[in-house]
Amino acid sequence: MGEQKLFFEDVKEGDEGPARSHVLTRTDLVRYAGASGDYNPMHHDEVKAKAGGQPSVFGHGMFSMGLLGSAIEDYVGVANLTRYKVRFAKQTWPDEELTTKVQVTAKRTEGGQNLVDLDVRLVNGAGEEKLIGEATAALASKV
Amino acid sequence: MSEGAGSDEEILKGIIGQPTGKSTVVIERGPVSFFADAVLEQSPIYKDPGAAQAVGLANIPAPPTFAFAVENWGKFPELQPTDALKGSPLMTALGPLIAKGGIILHGEQEFVYHRPVVVGDVLVGEGTVVDAYQKESKGKTMTFVVSETTFVDQKSGDPVVTARFNVLHRI
Repeated sequence: MGEQKLFFEDVKEGDEGPARSHVLTRTDLVRYAGASGDYNPMHHDEVKAKAGGQPSVFGHGMFSMGLLGSAIEDYVGVANLTRYKVRFAKQTWPDEELTTKVQVTAKRTEGGQNLVDLDVRLVNGAGEEKLIGEATAALASKV
Repeated sequence: MSEGAGSDEEILKGIIGQPTGKSTVVIERGPVSFFADAVLEQSPIYKDPGAAQAVGLANIPAPPTFAFAVENWGKFPELQPTDALKGSPLMTALGPLIAKGGIILHGEQEFVYHRPVVVGDVLVGEGTVVDAYQKESKGKTMTFVVSETTFVDQKSGDPVVTARFNVLHRI
């Protein structure tokens, strides 16, 4: 169990975590390429991306998953996730504002763990869903 | 779909259950902190060992998606098994498709965490292809290959994190 910032008793179905918004920049993509080792030129080389038929470079799906992960942990605390899954629904583009949505869908106790299931999404300013996923966190109990 | 040995369907069936490789990876502070910055983590727990220990962690933890990038950092050659695989079942399936054109997309990604990954861990990852199939959608052929890698603690042998990677080719 990691950081205790949210207690099981304080959560109910439908609750939402704090949303994070971030305007995607090309610098984000370059930094993520270096941090992850994913040097697919579609994510950092505008010339090659355009030659490949893309309007510009586009974001790494795993950058989006990382950003959404940080928002989930901002709500449930660091190092409490037991599961995190996403589907990469749409590409992300520089200058898009990406906003996280984290909502509680269920609470359950299983194997002695207090688990909270979350619906997690990343959307742009027009409401287009980039990531659609789910996560489960193990929370501390007050009792 | 082509006929005879080597049809897409036969190739896909043939790779299910095949190993995708084994690696030993070291979790280090610099890469973990750099990765945390790159995914815009804000918590001091990703920077400061004292902050991590204050919440009961043995050391700075890795962000939830770091397992996907771990082989980029701490996969030191002298630690790797000598019976390394030649070739990859993912490329066996996707290579001929890529040669026909189309694009490769990351469809889904899932992590199951058995305990937090922390700086100082040495993990042994071993992967297999768990599914491979083709379907038609909106006049396009989509080929899916799903692989799963489980990282265990080198010392205890206990599972730490399982990563499930779903990649697709669309033409």
